[in-house]
Amino acid sequence: MSETAAGWVGVALPLKEDARLVAGRGRFLDDLGRPHLLHAAMLRSPHAHARIVRLDASEAAAMPGVLAVLTGAEAAARSGPIRPLIPTTAAVPDHCLAVDRVRYVGEPLAAVAAVDRATAEDALERIRVEYEPLPAVVDPEAAMRADAPLLYPALGTNVVWHDTLTYGDVDRAVARADGVLRERFTIQRYASTPLETFGAIAEYDAGTDAFEFWTNDQRPGLTISILAASLGVPQSRIRLHCPDIGGAFGNKRRPAYLLVCALLARAAGRPVKWIEDRIENLTALMHACNGIMDVELAYRADGTLLALLVRDVADEGKNLLTPTQHNLIKLGNIVNGYRIPAVRYEAWSVLTNKCPSGANRGIGKPFMCFAVERAMALLARRLGLDPAELRRRNYVTADQMPYTTPPGAQYDSGDYPATLERALERFDYAGWRAEQARARAEGRLLGIGIATSVEPAGTNLASYELVTGRRAASGSAEAAMVRVEPDGHVRVSLGDPSSGQGYETVVAQIVADELGVTPDGVSVARGFDSATTPWLYLSGNYSNKFSVTDVGAVVGAAARVRAKLLRIAVHRLEIDVTDLELRDGAAVVRGAPDRRLAIAELARTAYADVLGLPPGVDPGLEAHHIHQNPLAQPVDADRRVRSQLVFANAAHCCLVEIDPRTGRITLRKYVVMHDCGRELNPLIVEGMVHGSTVHGIGAALLEEFRYDETGQLLTSTFMDYLKPTAADVPTIEVDRLEHPSPVTPLGAKGVGEGGSIPGPAAVANAVEDALAHLGVVVRSLPITPEQVWRWLTKA
Amino acid sequence: MKPAPFRYARPATAAEAVALLASSPGEAKLLAGGQSLVPLLNMRLARPSLLVDLNGARELERIDPAPDGGLRLGALVRHADLAAAPLVRERAPLLAEAARHVGHTAIRNRGTLGGSLAHADPAAELPAALLALDATLGLLGPRGMRRVAAAEFFRGLLVTALVEDELLAEVTVPAAPRGWGFMEIARRPGDFALAGVAASLDGRHHARVVGFGVADRPVRLRAAEVVVTAAPRDVATPARAGAAAAADCDPATDVHASAEYRRHLATVLTEDALRQAVGRLGS
Amino acid sequence: MTAGAPPAPAERLRVRLTVNGAAVEREVEARRSLADFLREDLALTGTHVGCEHGVCGACTVLIDGRSARSCLLLAVQLEGARVTTIEGLTPADGLSPLQEAFRACHAMQCGFCTPGMIVASTELLAATPAPDEAGIREALAGNLCMCTGYVNIVRAVAQAAVRLAVPAP
Repeated sequence: MSETAAGWVGVALPLKEDARLVAGRGRFLDDLGRPHLLHAAMLRSPHAHARIVRLDASEAAAMPGVLAVLTGAEAAARSGPIRPLIPTTAAVPDHCLAVDRVRYVGEPLAAVAAVDRATAEDALERIRVEYEPLPAVVDPEAAMRADAPLLYPALGTNVVWHDTLTYGDVDRAVARADGVLRERFTIQRYASTPLETFGAIAEYDAGTDAFEFWTNDQRPGLTISILAASLGVPQSRIRLHCPDIGGAFGNKRRPAYLLVCALLARAAGRPVKWIEDRIENLTALMHACNGIMDVELAYRADGTLLALLVRDVADEGKNLLTPTQHNLIKLGNIVNGYRIPAVRYEAWSVLTNKCPSGANRGIGKPFMCFAVERAMALLARRLGLDPAELRRRNYVTADQMPYTTPPGAQYDSGDYPATLERALERFDYAGWRAEQARARAEGRLLGIGIATSVEPAGTNLASYELVTGRRAASGSAEAAMVRVEPDGHVRVSLGDPSSGQGYETVVAQIVADELGVTPDGVSVARGFDSATTPWLYLSGNYSNKFSVTDVGAVVGAAARVRAKLLRIAVHRLEIDVTDLELRDGAAVVRGAPDRRLAIAELARTAYADVLGLPPGVDPGLEAHHIHQNPLAQPVDADRRVRSQLVFANAAHCCLVEIDPRTGRITLRKYVVMHDCGRELNPLIVEGMVHGSTVHGIGAALLEEFRYDETGQLLTSTFMDYLKPTAADVPTIEVDRLEHPSPVTPLGAKGVGEGGSIPGPAAVANAVEDALAHLGVVVRSLPITPEQVWRWLTKA
Repeated sequence: MKPAPFRYARPATAAEAVALLASSPGEAKLLAGGQSLVPLLNMRLARPSLLVDLNGARELERIDPAPDGGLRLGALVRHADLAAAPLVRERAPLLAEAARHVGHTAIRNRGTLGGSLAHADPAAELPAALLALDATLGLLGPRGMRRVAAAEFFRGLLVTALVEDELLAEVTVPAAPRGWGFMEIARRPGDFALAGVAASLDGRHHARVVGFGVADRPVRLRAAEVVVTAAPRDVATPARAGAAAAADCDPATDVHASAEYRRHLATVLTEDALRQAVGRLGS
Repeated sequence: MTAGAPPAPAERLRVRLTVNGAAVEREVEARRSLADFLREDLALTGTHVGCEHGVCGACTVLIDGRSARSCLLLAVQLEGARVTTIEGLTPADGLSPLQEAFRACHAMQCGFCTPGMIVASTELLAATPAPDEAGIREALAGNLCMCTGYVNIVRAVAQAAVRLAVPAP
C-alpha cells in the first residue's frame, strides 16, 4: 500500500506482525526453551483463609524427576518481601509464596521444579499440608465491619484506604438542587483473560550471580525493580526479555511468580519454566474489583447537574501490591464527560479472601461509567427527558476545552455533543425509536441503550500520593531508541512490549515519516530485552499510554536521528538545511531531486568513513529519547491531580431484543462513534474498538467470577466463566470524529481501553429501556436471561 | 493441567476392551471421544489406573438400517456423523438434530454416541433424544450382550445401568414417528443446555416429551404427554402441554440457572418443541 | 497394540503418525496430550494451548481432515492418523488465500487464537464454500478470541470465501 501525500501515519497499513502470526510463527513464552529446562508447578490453597500448620515437602523432593522444591518458609528466607506499588499503612510482608497463612483459594504456598509439568504436578500431590481453616470474609461490606475476620491482623483492619475527597461546595449544591437521584449499583468480578496465560522462564547464573527471565509480563520496568529488591541483586544483574505476548489487558503482571521461578532455578541449578494453566489463571491471577457504589446526583429541574456524590467500595481481594488503584482511577474520571461543578468521593478499598484485584482493562472506569451513565438514564426517565437530550444539556463542550474537572482531570480536546449526535445518526436513533414502539405493539421487546464516556490514556503515578501521603513515583514516561544501521535500514526499540497492539507496524510508520523511508525499511524490535531496549521504571504497557507517551519517545528519538542525518547531508552536499528534505530513503535537495544522498550512504559516513563527518559530530546514527507526558503534575494543595492524562471519548448506541418468554437478550445492533484524535493506523484503532467493546459486552451479559460464602470460586474454568464467542456479539459498527490532542506529539489519544468502559453501561441501558414499561431498574451486572425473566414475571 | 499417570491400552475389538475392563475392576476407564473424559483427566478429577482406548474397535462405528425401519448405531458413531448421515436424517431426524446441537464442530467430530450416553450428563442432548425415540441400548459385558431400554438406562446424576465391566456397544432405534421437535436453550450456542426438550409423536396415541437439564437424568414429561395424546392436533395443545411440563421436572440450581428458571424454560421449550412436532406431522 | 498387559504408566509407547504430510515416529508417555506432543516433541509451536479443557479452541488441529481439540487427544491415540497443524496449512512461500484474507483484514491482534481460527475456518470453507455471516459466526463459536471482538475475523472468512470461489486463471 502506498503512502498518501501526508505520509505513513494515518494509513490503514496491514500489520507486519500479522504475517507471522497468521502462519503460527509467533514466538510466545511457551514456545521458548532453554538448555536443561525444568518445569514448575505450584501448590495452591484449597481454603479461602487458613493457617498453614505444617508443610512437609520431603516426599515430593525425593521423587525421581523432581529437582527442586520451594516452600513459603524457604521463599521468605531466600527473598525479600515484594515491594508494593501502593503500600499499606503498616508494612505487611508479602512474599512470593504464602508463609504461615493462605488468604484466598488458589494462593500458592509451595512450588516444585521437575523434568516436565506432569511430573511436577505428580510431586505436588506428595506435599503434605495441614491447614487450620480460619473464618473467611468474602463480602466487602462484611470485611469493613469491626468484627470482620482480618486478612492481616497487623493492619488491624481489612480497609486499606478510607477517605473522602471533596471538590467544590457540594453541600450547597445539594441544598440548591431541585432534586437528588439516589441509587446503589454493584458490579461483579470479571477479567479480560488473555488467551495466552501468564508465565516465566527464570535462569540463574551462579558464576555471575545474575538472573535472566523470559516472561509475558507487560510492565517490565516495575517488575525488574521488584525482582531486584526481593532477590537482593542490583538491577544490572537482572535481564528480562518479553517475547510475543498473547494479549495482556492489564492482567499480565505478577512478580511473585517470577520470584518463585527464580528461586527454584537457583536451587536446581537449571532454568525453570512455569506457565499458569487456565484454572490457575481464572482462580488466582487477577480479577477487576467487584464493588458497590452509592451515587447521588443533584440536579436542577431542567436537568442541569449540580453535584455528584459517590460512595465507592472496591473489593480488592488479597491485593497488597496495588490496592486503591481502582478507586483513584474512578476518582480521576468521575464526572465522565459532564460539567458537574461539585464532587464528593468517599472511597473504601477493602481486602477480602479472594483473588487479588488488579489493573484489568479499564481499571475501575467501567464501573464508574456504569454508575454515572445509569444514573443519567434514570434521571432522564425521571425528568421525562430523552436520554440524549439530558446528556446534551450537561456535556463539556468543545469550546470549553481544555476543561479541568473538579478532581483535577484535564480534558484536552473533543466534541462530546457532536460525538453523540453522530452516533445517534449512524445508529438511526429516530428510526429505531419508532420501530421500538411498533414492536412493543406486537409484544416484542426492543431496547435502545446509550452510553458515552471519556477514555483517558496514560497514568500519572503521582496520584498515588492521595493514598499514601507521599510521592514515591510520579509522572508518565517511556523510552525509545532509533538507529539507522550501517546498511541504511532502520532499527527501533521501545520500552513497552506489545501484546497485540501492532507496535511493530505503527512505530515503523511513525519512524518512516520522520526519516523519509518506508515502513518496510524500519524494523521494530519484538517484545522487550532489558539489556538492549531502552526502558524506565515507568516502562510498560498500561493505561493506554502508547499513543500519548510511547509515541513521544519514538518521535523524539527519530527526530534526533533525522537531525543528524540532515547535518551529515548538509556537510556532504554543502547546502543549507532548509534546502534539504528526507524522503524516498534519501536526503534530497528540494527542487533538484538528482542531488541526493541515500540513507545508506549517509550511514557509511556515520559508521565507516567517520573522518567525513562534520566537525563536532560523533560517529553513529543512533538516538535514545525519553518522552515525559507534560501534563503529569504532582497532587496540588486541594488534592487535585491529573491521574490520567489525555482524553479520547466515545458514544455507544446499541439495540437489544428481549425474548419475553425466556428473558434471553440478543444484541441486534451496536454502533460506536469514537474520537481518539489522530488515528495512527486505522486498522489497529478499529480493531481496538471492536475488541474493547466486546469486553464491555462480556461484562454486561456473560462474565462473572462467582464465589460461594466460604470463598470457593465457583467459576474456575471456561465452562463456567463465560466469554463472548463470535455467535454472541453482532458486528460492532465503528465511525469516528477526529479531534487531535493538542498535548501529544502526533495528536493521537489513547484507544486501547475504549469500549470496555462505556460498553457495560450501554448494554445495561438498552436492557432497561426494553423493560422500561415494567419499571425495571438495572443496578448490577451481569444481566442474565434468568434475571430478565424474573423482572418480566414480577411485573 | 496434566493427568495423573495411567496405563494405556488400545484393544482392536469391543470384546477385547471388555476383557481389559474386567482385568482392572473399578480402576479402568473407557476412552471414546474424550471430549468429556479428557478434561476430567487433565483436572485430575478422574484418575483411572488403566485407560482403555475404544477407538480401535472399528466395528462400533457402524450406522445400519434396521429391518423395522429404524436404525442400529454403533457406540463409536461420532456426533458429526449422526448429524450428517442421510440414513439418520431420514429415519431418526430427531436424533440427527440433537447431535447437531452438541458443542461445536470440533467436539462433534470426536465425541461419540456411546460416550455421551455412558457419561449421562443430565443436560446432554442425545440421552434425551434416545429416550424420546424409545431406543434400546446394547451393553456388552464378559457374559455377552444385554439389552436395556433407554428408559431403564439412565439411573441418576451421571449414573447409568452400566456395570464396571461393561461397555455400551450399540443403540437400536425403532422406526420413528413422523412428528418430532427439538428445542434447547443455552447461555451461548454450543454450551450445555440450561434446559431442553425432545419430542416425538405420531399424531395419535404415541407421544414422548423428554426434558433434559431439568432433572438428574433425561425425564419423560408425562403430564405433558397426557395432554398431547388427549388432543394431538389441537392448536391449543402445545401451550397446555407446556404448562403441564413443569410438574415432572426436578431441576438443579447451579451457577448458570436456578431450578425455578429451568422449570420455566421447560414450559416454553415443551410448547415450542411440540409446535415443531405437530408441524411435521403433515395432514 | 494388542490386548496383553497394558504398559506401566511411565513406560514410553511408540506412536507412528503423519504430521503435515511427513511420517513421524516417537515414543511418548501415555498421558502426553497431542497438543504437547506437537509443540514439544515436534517443535510445531504454532498450535497453542489456552485452557486444556476443550473450550477455547486455541489448540484446534485437523485429524484426518476434521477439526479436533488437540488438548483433548492423547498423542498415543493418533497411531496411523494424519494430523494437519497451522504449519501444514501454510504454504512454503507466502500465505494461503485464507491467511492472506486474515492478514488483509487484520483479523488478529495478539495472534494466539489465530492458528485455531485458521483451522476452524479451513474446515468451514471446505464444507460450506459460501457461508453467510451467521454461518461463519456459528462455525467459529468454538474458538475464543479475547482481542478482536471477532468483527475482522468474520470479514476475513467471508473475504476468503469469495477469493477461493474465483477460479484460478
